[in-house]
Amino acid sequence: MAVEAQRAAGPAAPARPRPKREREEEVLVWPDLVFVEFIAAVLFTITFTILSVFINAPLLNRANPVVTPNPSKAPWYFLNLQELLLHMDKAWAGVLLPTIALGFFAVIPYLDRSREAQGIWFGTKYSVRLTVIAAIYAVVVSFGLVVFDAGDRNLTPEFMPTVRTEMLTRWIPSCPEGTDHVGFPCLKDEAGSPHLGITNTKDISKRLEFSVPFPKVFGNPTSDGELDWPRDLGHIPVPFNNVDCCYGSLHLWKGMYLNIPDIIANQVIPLVTIVFLALLIIYILFRLGWVRTKRDIFIIMFTAVLASYLTLSLVGSFFRGQGQALIPPWEIKVDEGAGELHPP
Amino acid sequence: MAVTEEPGKPRNWSERIGVLQDRIYDKVFHNYVWQSIFRSGYPNTPRNQMLVVATNVFLHLHPTRIHRTHVKITHTYCLGGLTFFMFLILTVTGVLLMFYYVPDVNRAYQDIAALETNVKFGLLMRNIHRWTAHAMVILVFLHMMRVFYTGAYKPPREFNWVVGVILLVLTLVLSFTGYLLPWDQLALWAVTVGHGIGGSAPYFGDETQLVVFGGYEVGPNTLIRFYTLHVIALPLLAAIFMAVHFWRIRRDGGMARPL
Repeated sequence: MAVEAQRAAGPAAPARPRPKREREEEVLVWPDLVFVEFIAAVLFTITFTILSVFINAPLLNRANPVVTPNPSKAPWYFLNLQELLLHMDKAWAGVLLPTIALGFFAVIPYLDRSREAQGIWFGTKYSVRLTVIAAIYAVVVSFGLVVFDAGDRNLTPEFMPTVRTEMLTRWIPSCPEGTDHVGFPCLKDEAGSPHLGITNTKDISKRLEFSVPFPKVFGNPTSDGELDWPRDLGHIPVPFNNVDCCYGSLHLWKGMYLNIPDIIANQVIPLVTIVFLALLIIYILFRLGWVRTKRDIFIIMFTAVLASYLTLSLVGSFFRGQGQALIPPWEIKVDEGAGELHPP
Repeated sequence: MAVTEEPGKPRNWSERIGVLQDRIYDKVFHNYVWQSIFRSGYPNTPRNQMLVVATNVFLHLHPTRIHRTHVKITHTYCLGGLTFFMFLILTVTGVLLMFYYVPDVNRAYQDIAALETNVKFGLLMRNIHRWTAHAMVILVFLHMMRVFYTGAYKPPREFNWVVGVILLVLTLVLSFTGYLLPWDQLALWAVTVGHGIGGSAPYFGDETQLVVFGGYEVGPNTLIRFYTLHVIALPLLAAIFMAVHFWRIRRDGGMARPL
């Protein structure tokens, strides 16, 4: 009232209300907050009761260990891990990458210690833009990589009947049958089937073959003077594996051996791809001048991790048919197995 | 000035009813027993409104006053509170489901089937349990996104964010252990996929399968293990971490505010 009176008196009096004290900006929890919480709880109770009246929880046939449904799928929040299993080493896909992701989430506040931009949505200058770009980038890249790694599959048969990523490497010749040693890289094809390029990264360790001249090391009688990929590199003994020492036999590596082609195809290539693509988007956005603070980097990474998590879940839910083949959602048919059709 | 009448005999019926109402109100709310339960008066004055929050064990998770911006629905969308509310619904419906369920491979499936057909509201309870479980997983993710994008993990709330990440893992594991219990094909093979993922742990794969799943394939041991984890171990653990989570919100100065 006083301010209005001053304002009415004329422009000479500056109409600046004094800054409000902290206490005046506060409201009472009862009723202002408790009321909102109560309404939210009631709405959710009603919604889920109605939902549960109309939609029943699934209950299939009794569990039968000898009848495997095809495809069998994990719960949706683990389908992304199941999806990753198709593309890389199972230890990385199933355990190490999710652990790293959770560890990354946990250490965010210890790396981004600035107190700025807290308590409001998207506090830094370009954070909305960064979030949207990172989300779109992660969705496109994840889905693109999934399609790329299923090179002999074609998601859109009606529109683009012949476009497959396998064609990019079809110039690599087919391996001549019956010979073990080839100089130039070649791809082993199944007998009777047409020649395919590299259909997925696993092919690099399985179908790709080439040899390079290699001196006979230490006069090894089994060496033929050539190093064959993948045959000669698939069984490298690990140091200190099964060593007789100290307290009996040391099974340090549980009798494992190094499979170099497998490591390259299932670990090195996928992980380098992930790291490279993550650094790429951060670098691009940095050069554009939109990454200003450490928090901006974490916004990109957090958004990208969540978006690819969601994308891979959706791919696993809606694009994986029998034998985990990549197919459009409308073509998915679940084979329940040859067991009893009716519950006992 | 108007002359105030002395309180005397009621002159008409409406006044008589008014007097009666006052007496009944007095008898119900001002008697010895009621006041032994509810210390503060009816929350229609600021003093009583603060008292009711401060003296009630359920409400005292809140402060008595809160900043204006935090009551706005678009600031939090109630996501954390709703996650907790899902946990409460799951506890209640879960206890009801436990009455009819035996975690034995020969009985589990029949118990669920009987629950759906023979038990009054059994199907409804199972449906609510299932859908709220999915909702809790989704809400936990959304809550984490809200906290991240509002920068609410920043000092001094670093540790509470870590507790939140632990609660995310607990929620996922709780949901996953519950997935097996109906012992149908969906449950068995979904958990078999998880069993394979657990077995792919480098160096400790076999041990993980033995300890967590109780064997090299999903079977009776897995069922009893998952049941025990699902109904007592994990909810207890989650409740402890939730207590820390809520406590730390208050200790760290309530919800994050712009500087």
